[in-house]
Amino acid sequence: MGVEVAALMGFFGLTSAFALVAAIFAAWMAWRIVEKAGFPGWTGLAAIVLTLTGVASIVPLVLLWVFAFMRWPRDGAPSAPLAYGAAPAGAPVRSPAALAPPSVALADRRGWRLSGSLPNGGGVAFVVHDTATPYVLTGAPATQPGDLSVPDPSVGQPHACLLTAASRLGLEDLGTPGGTFIDGARLLPEHGPRDISAARSIRLGSVELTLTRA
Amino acid sequence: MSYLIAWVLGLGSLALLALAIGHLLVALVLIIPTWRICTRAGFSGALSLFHLVPVIGSFIVMAVLAFSPWPAGEASPGGR
Repeated sequence: MGVEVAALMGFFGLTSAFALVAAIFAAWMAWRIVEKAGFPGWTGLAAIVLTLTGVASIVPLVLLWVFAFMRWPRDGAPSAPLAYGAAPAGAPVRSPAALAPPSVALADRRGWRLSGSLPNGGGVAFVVHDTATPYVLTGAPATQPGDLSVPDPSVGQPHACLLTAASRLGLEDLGTPGGTFIDGARLLPEHGPRDISAARSIRLGSVELTLTRA
Repeated sequence: MSYLIAWVLGLGSLALLALAIGHLLVALVLIIPTWRICTRAGFSGALSLFHLVPVIGSFIVMAVLAFSPWPAGEASPGGR
């Protein structure tokens, strides 16, 4: 009789030891899983501990469903900032599955028209489209395809750079005495390229150019 | 005598069927959320079908999710 009792006790001991190991293992794995989703690890541990209490074994099941369908901190804010054009350098590269589609209307694909009159009575008009190479605004006659000639003594040779990227227009002053102005504000060479997609006019030396969408 | 055997066999198969259906239902309750977790982590949703394996299936799914890097990206370990 004593042998049977001992065997039964041993069996129960073995099973409960096995269950304990399994529970600890499960808690450890749950800790790691919720951490990967961006939650504190103890939330996963707590879910497994709740399973052991028995009285609340439905709660971890509900928690599993909640965890599956809730927003995870890993996914970032619900309205993630949209990146236009190339991703900034150093940004983590994620698989396309993690990238949310843009939720706003696509950018305006039209080009820009720069037009104005020269002090000597002439007029200039350019149409600028998305290109990889920058346009150069210069006072000299145009020699290369990207040259936009503004024949006026106050315009430097070259004077400024027009850059296009992903339906945006940028302007960079190349350091001329005449100066470059965006809507009346001075653009210095140390400012680098500035986005003028929404600007109304730019001034090169004494030549005022009106910026509209082509 | 043969009636008795037929009874026992029929009852046994019925019990087995009930057991199988019950297991399937329980597994389904686990598979649906796990399918979504697996796809959000970047794995195939079919990984959650391991829940159909009795006893150790859930451990396999959890181990894969816990110990292999998520293809869809993980939260940085130091918090954000």
